[in-house]
Amino acid sequence: MSFLEVRGVSKRFGGITALNDVSLTVEKGEIFGLMGANGAGKTTLFSVIAGHAAPSSGEVLFKGRRITGLPPARICRQGICRTFQIVRPMAGLSVAENVRVAALYGSHGLRPGPQTDAKVAEALAAVGLDDQLETLAGALTLSGQKRLEIARALATGAELVMLDEVMAGLNPTEIAHMLDTLSALRRERGLTFVIVEHVIGALMTLSDRILVLHHGERIAFGTPEDIGRNDQVAEVYFG
Amino acid sequence: MVDTLLSGQLLFAALVSGSLYALVALGLNLVYGTLRLLNIAHGDLVMIGAYVAFWLFTLLAVPPVVALVVAAVLCAVLGWAVYAGLFRRMLAKPALARRVEANSLILFYGISVILQNSAALAFTASPRAYRWLDTVITWGGVSMTLNRLLTLGVAAGLCLGVLAFLRFHLFGWGLRAVIQRREAAQVVGVNIERVQLATICAGFAVAGMAGVLVSMTEQITPFMGFPFTIVAFVVIIVGGLGNIGAGVLAGFALGLVETYGIALTSAGYRSILIYGIFVAVLMVRPEGLFTRAVRT
Amino acid sequence: MKGIWPTAGVVLAGLALAAPLSGNAYLTGVAFQIAMWIALAQSWSMLSATTGYVSLGHAVFYGIGGYVAVLLVDAAPFPLVLLVAALAPAVFAAVIGLPVLRVRGPYFVILTYGLSELVRHGVMRIESALGSFGRMIFSAPSPEALLWWMVALAVAATLGAWAVRHSRFGAGLAAIREDEVAAETLGVPTARLKLLALIASAIIPGAVGGLAMMRTGYFEPGQAFDPVVSFTIVTMALVGGTDSVRGPVMGAIGFALLSELLWSSFPQLYMIVLGAALIGFVLFVPQGLSGLVDRIAGRRA
Repeated sequence: MSFLEVRGVSKRFGGITALNDVSLTVEKGEIFGLMGANGAGKTTLFSVIAGHAAPSSGEVLFKGRRITGLPPARICRQGICRTFQIVRPMAGLSVAENVRVAALYGSHGLRPGPQTDAKVAEALAAVGLDDQLETLAGALTLSGQKRLEIARALATGAELVMLDEVMAGLNPTEIAHMLDTLSALRRERGLTFVIVEHVIGALMTLSDRILVLHHGERIAFGTPEDIGRNDQVAEVYFG
Repeated sequence: MVDTLLSGQLLFAALVSGSLYALVALGLNLVYGTLRLLNIAHGDLVMIGAYVAFWLFTLLAVPPVVALVVAAVLCAVLGWAVYAGLFRRMLAKPALARRVEANSLILFYGISVILQNSAALAFTASPRAYRWLDTVITWGGVSMTLNRLLTLGVAAGLCLGVLAFLRFHLFGWGLRAVIQRREAAQVVGVNIERVQLATICAGFAVAGMAGVLVSMTEQITPFMGFPFTIVAFVVIIVGGLGNIGAGVLAGFALGLVETYGIALTSAGYRSILIYGIFVAVLMVRPEGLFTRAVRT
Repeated sequence: MKGIWPTAGVVLAGLALAAPLSGNAYLTGVAFQIAMWIALAQSWSMLSATTGYVSLGHAVFYGIGGYVAVLLVDAAPFPLVLLVAALAPAVFAAVIGLPVLRVRGPYFVILTYGLSELVRHGVMRIESALGSFGRMIFSAPSPEALLWWMVALAVAATLGAWAVRHSRFGAGLAAIREDEVAAETLGVPTARLKLLALIASAIIPGAVGGLAMMRTGYFEPGQAFDPVVSFTIVTMALVGGTDSVRGPVMGAIGFALLSELLWSSFPQLYMIVLGAALIGFVLFVPQGLSGLVDRIAGRRA
């Protein structure tokens, strides 16, 4: 039984096919990369898995259980949490309050109290935001807001974290910092990640296996080395 | 009963109120389309127009046809004042702009309350009316008063005129461009500020003129405007944002539904019918006016 | 500074309860009005200040409660009448809640207004079909008893609003206000929480409506469901400030007193002041009176 299994998922919006019969399996503890040009269907696939969009056909299984069509909040409580390509900080709440919501409502379902506060502090420490607890989330830098999204995902108690372009818009120093954070999270917590990334170097470094989408279809799959050698991928990416 | 329903009499009544609804909604639609401003005080412009007509006629014996022009100018000036006083300031202060946008409905409801109560303070709340051109003519078995005929003619004419202007005049093209793609319109050289200013003046003016027409056949009170706002909302939600042509059709359709609905029940059901449609429409289309369908 | 507020609240409630001791019926009436608007504004804040779904239709809960109380007052013991008056709008909120709360932003505001008007006209039709043009109430409790009930409701609403803000529930509602999509992703069951908030904010206004009808001794649907009630609630809460529980209390006291001054002789002027205050505070003092007081106190400390 795979950790996450996507079976023949298609998604059509009106006449446009955003995803066409895509299947994949993610094993526990791996970092699974999704690659593809703009409009390849990566974000749509995220939305389908996280419950923001129902697939036109196909199904999604998490730890052997069907989660297709469940609302996002239910999927979160089962242990899947995503971040957003365009960050969605709860701007009027403090950094700590943002993460506290996740601890209270995620799969932990904690009550307010010291246990929750500890969870919040720990999640913020893991992404290096523990010195900005009282800052308003809206006042963080972009890099800070991306970290906040990861901290929130951690605080929900998610076992599978889906990161949508978490490096986009960061400078090289911040990217290096983010790579360290993610490797540490996997090493120390055994978390599983699915990541979408435009920064191809980062994707190649991090991922154990990579799936390449093009116009909503799967065109290549394998280790980063395989993908680097794949002619079809080279053609799509570099013409 | 069936006789009544099939009579031209009822159809005529439906067309008269439909044309008024279309006209009022047209003004709201123009303002919403170009300024993204849900002006809940729109109906109060109808009230202002109605009082203009009433006082001009009662005090100075000026016929409502002239009042049409006066009300249009007065409301256009109000539109200019709102634009200069509020929107220019919002452009300069982003924090203010955010607050206005987040609370736009509450703010304009506040303005509506002020307008209604100022009118009540100035003119008292007692209903007023005047008689002008209420000679009955009968044509093809349908009896109609001349002022109703005039209402239908002027309202329908204004609607068609605005539609033609949008379709055939260069400025109308610019306006449609702003409704559909604000940024793109700016890129191709449309002067957005000028279009917005012109639209808010035109939208307000049209509402004021509708008020003059209403005053010829209905009672005038400080609180007569709000139902028109609700009607206009229904019309543009059904017709679609910025879809001026469909909005005009929807206005006539609502007039028909209302007139025949009342004929089947009684006049006491008018408000229930209008608010019922309003609630149902919003529940069916919770995204409200933010739907595509941008044509003219 | 912070510790002052609970004490101030207790003193205020004590003063209100003691108002009848003055032997001055007018004073009892003023205390009743203040308690009533505090109860309404606090209830409103349980939904609208927490989630950002601004209701311009709370008159519907007030009116339903009033209607139910008037129908029952001769048939049941008074506490039971109030209980049913409180539960009826809660049931109404539960029925309409899900579809209504799918509508957001300005559309939610106008929809709540429209719903309230729809019910108002509906009840007017029912009443006129029954041949009733206003109902007199002959078996209402004494003004003192009504005042004590109303103060109890104001206290309950204030404590309730405080408890909501400081609970897990309140954290979820704040998340909905800030970003509903993000909240869902973090496991917040947004639809359910919004519905619960709507129901919670409908209960006390129902009982308040019941007491208010008993106080006037008269029920007329056009008045019981008057949209002015909705507008007054929103204005009091926004002018008072929605960031804290004391905000709505400040707004309610301020406008209830102003209304005593203006309403009987210049009702339109009162409405104009209400509208102008709303616009002025939203645009230039968004933190409200309570925020203003904090700032002044902070400067002095």
